[in-house]
Formats: sequence, C-alpha cells, structure tokens
Amino acid sequence: MIEKYSILSPDFERDAPRELMLLSIISQSFFQPFSLEDNLLVILTALTSGSGVGFNRAMLFLKQGDRLRGEMWLGPRSAEEAGLIWEVLSTPGIGYVEIVEHNRALVSKNEDTLSARLKGLVYAADDENALIPAYAACRKEILLVSQASTEPLVDRRFLNVIGVEQFLCIPLLARDDVVGEIILDNAITRTPITPSDIKLAGICGLMAGNYIYSATLHRKLLDVEKMAAMGEMAMFVTHQLRNPIVAIGGFTEQLLKPDVPEEKKLRNLTIIRDEIRRLEGIIYQMGHFLKVSLKEPIYFDPGPGIAAVIDSPEVQTKARGYDLNVKLEPCLPEILCDPTSFGEVVRNLLDNAFDATPAGGTISVRGYRKNPTSFVLSIRDTGRGLTNPDKENLFRPFFTTKEKGMGLGLPFIKRVMDTCGGKVEVQSRFGKGALFKLIFICRERELTP
Amino acid sequence: MKKKILIVEDEKTLCLLYEEELSNEGYDITAVMDAEAALAKLGEQSFDLIITDIRMPGKNGIELITQIMGLRKDIPIIINSAYQSYKEDFMTWAADAYVVKSSSLDDLKSKIKQLLGD
Repeated sequence: MIEKYSILSPDFERDAPRELMLLSIISQSFFQPFSLEDNLLVILTALTSGSGVGFNRAMLFLKQGDRLRGEMWLGPRSAEEAGLIWEVLSTPGIGYVEIVEHNRALVSKNEDTLSARLKGLVYAADDENALIPAYAACRKEILLVSQASTEPLVDRRFLNVIGVEQFLCIPLLARDDVVGEIILDNAITRTPITPSDIKLAGICGLMAGNYIYSATLHRKLLDVEKMAAMGEMAMFVTHQLRNPIVAIGGFTEQLLKPDVPEEKKLRNLTIIRDEIRRLEGIIYQMGHFLKVSLKEPIYFDPGPGIAAVIDSPEVQTKARGYDLNVKLEPCLPEILCDPTSFGEVVRNLLDNAFDATPAGGTISVRGYRKNPTSFVLSIRDTGRGLTNPDKENLFRPFFTTKEKGMGLGLPFIKRVMDTCGGKVEVQSRFGKGALFKLIFICRERELTP
Repeated sequence: MKKKILIVEDEKTLCLLYEEELSNEGYDITAVMDAEAALAKLGEQSFDLIITDIRMPGKNGIELITQIMGLRKDIPIIINSAYQSYKEDFMTWAADAYVVKSSSLDDLKSKIKQLLGD
C-alpha cells in the first residue's frame, strides 16, 4: 500500500505541537512567490501569532554592509490595538496569506507604526564594544535581557524605542556570518519569556538567517546574469546594426560617384531601402523584447486566438507549399495566459517552424488536455531539427540558429510561459524536425446559462 | 596579373559591396559566405590575401584562421568584423590586420595595399 502526502501543505491537527506548526509555516512560506520582504514578514508573523511562539512583538535588524539597520517591527502599539489585531488574526478560517496581507499594513514605514519608530536605529555590525541589541549579533549569542533599564550594556536609545524591561535578542546567522537580528518581547501581555520560547525562537532565527543568506545570494546572481545579458545584448546589437549601416554607407558612396548607370542606381537604392527596413525591424524587435510588459494572466478560450493566427494572411502566405494541419480537441478548456501574448507566442512558434522546414515539409499543430489541469498546444515540424548545444541555448536571449534571426522569439515565449505558470518543452534531434510543446494551466470552460 | 583576394562574409549585400569595390581597385575577388566554403576554395586555388568576418553561422572566423594557419601560413589575413572587442581576443592576433567594419572602405583598402605591397 502506498500513501501520498503533500510536501507543501501538511494538514496538522488543531492540537498539533505549536513548534511543528511554526516551523511548517515558515518553511512553507519560502516556497510561496513572496518577495524577500514578505518572507521576512512571514517569519515575524510566525513568531508573534498565536499559533506560533506567541511573542507580542518582533523587531528585525538586517545587516547592510558593515551596519545593522532596523528594518521591520511587527506588533500592536497598544493594548487596545493588540485586542483588535488579535481578534482579526483569530478569525476562524483565516489563512496565512491573509494574515501576511493584514500585517503588511502594520509594518509600513510611512505611517505611525512600530516600524516607523525603528527608522534611524543603526549600529556597527562588527564592534567589540557593541551595546545591546548589536551586542548579540556581534558576539553571535542569544541574549535574554531582563530589567533592561538597570543593565549598562543596553543602549539607552534602543531602550527608549522598545520601552520594555524584558526582551530576547536572536542573532541571525548564515555560514558563520551575521545577516541580522530579531528582537522579541511581550510588551502587551507582560508574560515572562520561557526557556522553551527561547529554544524555539533560536531555531526560527537559524532558518531566517539561512533564508536571508540564500535570498541575498539569489538576488546577486540575478544581477550578475542581468549584467551578462546586457553585455551580450550590446555585442549583438553592435553587430546587427553595423552590418546594415556599412551596406547603406557603402552603396550610397557608390551613388555619389559620377556617371553611375541608371540600372546600378536603382539596384543600390533598392539595397539601401531594404537595409533600412531591416534596421527598422531590428529596432522594433529589440524594443518589443525589452519593453513589452506582460499583462496579468487570465482564463480564456484559446480556440479563437489559435484560429486568428492560423488564418492570418501572413501565416496563410507562408503555408503555401507546406502541409499545415491543425487538430484541436473538441470543446477546448480555458487556459491561463495573457491573451495578447498567447497569440504572439503561437505566431512566433509557427514562424520558427516555417523557417526551419524546407518547402514541402509538414507542420502539425495539436491542442489537447494532458490531464484535467494541463492543456498542451504543440507545434511539430519536419525541418532541420536541433543539435544538443542548440537545445541548451535555445532560450538564451540573442542565441539563434537562423541566418537573420535576432534570437529573441524563444526567450519571449519562455517569459510568457513563466509568467502564466506554464512551461515550454522541446523535443528534437538534428535532421529529424522539432516538437515544441506549450503547457498551460487550464480549467473546464464556465458554462453560460 | 591581378592579385587574388578571398572574402569570407555571411552578409550577401556586404559580399556584393566588397566584391564591387575591390574589383574596382584592380583585384580579382572571390567571395564566399561561410568558413567551409572558404576552406574548399583554398583547396582549389591559391590566393594572395584573405579577408574574413568573425561572427558567421557554422565555423567562425577565428576557427577559420586557425585552420588556414595550419594549411598556409604565408597568406596574409585581414579580419573585418563589426565587433571591436574581438581585437582583445589573442586568437585574433594571428591575423595580419584587424579592421572594424565601416561604411567607408578606405581603411580596409589601405590595409590591403599595405599587405600586398602595392
């Protein structure tokens, strides 16, 4: 017998240990499409919510360069506000996403929130003589501070801001480096912090530290990739623009010479016009790829879009001399995509199929459900096919197997598919044609009464 | 006797331009559009000079130069590329001259004259 369980949404019993619930919430949030800031908010929320450790307030410092900067402080400002907030958060059936939505407003720095009060609280991140709270991060130690006003190691400015006698400092560590610090207290309920609270908060600190570390690394990696792509783009644009410019300049130069025969004049002017059109095409495609902003995906019937592309004069003209056959299953489901981009994606794939296939070849378009939630639109050609290195680079901007291609079509398709939660797959062997599959999230069509 | 130049350039219009302009200068021009065709021509006849682009479909200009150097070290080679940055690639240093493509062919023509001793 085999039993299957979901990795991302384990259903805990109501009386499951709170530690388990807390760790589950935090680890699940890392799989959500939240931003770094939202994920940090999830961690603070988990530390302060009733189902978590249940601290009243959580403050976050993040290390930026050699400084520890107060970033976020979550919790009620007063006992009255605490009552209101905790009532909302204990509404039966409220999900974690809703709680994060609700808490987002609480950490706004533009209003009179706790986070706004943190503004300007900055400490050196590596100071032998650091005062609390920076002391905990600098020494990489968890500190429980009680009777704070009598403790000379506590920074007075910080004490004025936090305004409580007992608080817990958890340094956020990753690979032996400090990435921040969380400070927790029970300012409203005045409940003493227990050893088990400290242990649990310490584990959350380790998870948070590693998350911040990997998220920051990921951001840096994206920046590096962006820079590399920009460099590649600059190189490519130079080449793409220079060749037509050289041709235009060279043939114009010839026209300026005396006694140019009429026939040559006409030929040169035709070349110049064609090269200018090519330049326009390059500029259009570049602008389209760089600036096109994708709209929010929605559910729609793909049938009319596919028909509009196939029946367009452009495709019909190209299809002469080819066997273009289209088979869509009856009663297509609704797919999730931006409808405008969908049309362009289909046209782009068809263009590629025509370009890769010699006249007389076959291009087959198929549309079918893979399963109740996935719809596949496939385009198969009998063209030259792709080598393995081609397949690896296919979705890289500016990579092209065409003589005059820009290499922006497939990266655009991938961007569209990524945005709508879909996928694009390629199957091909050199000399044996290619099969491109667009896999969309789908649902049954809503029946109109 | 006219000196023979082999041009390797994947852009049809540029092939035509170089062919006409350099023929007018009194050279015997053979233009091909990729490295394989260039190697085939080199196997068939001898040339006094080779002009090659770098970025081409299939084998690129740098690979072509490496192969030519293995076959015929005595033929001078000019790289004629849209990219300035390949100048920094030491693999291009094997060529006798590097000319960045321009709508004025003066630079290219003067490099040809210089290398052919005209």
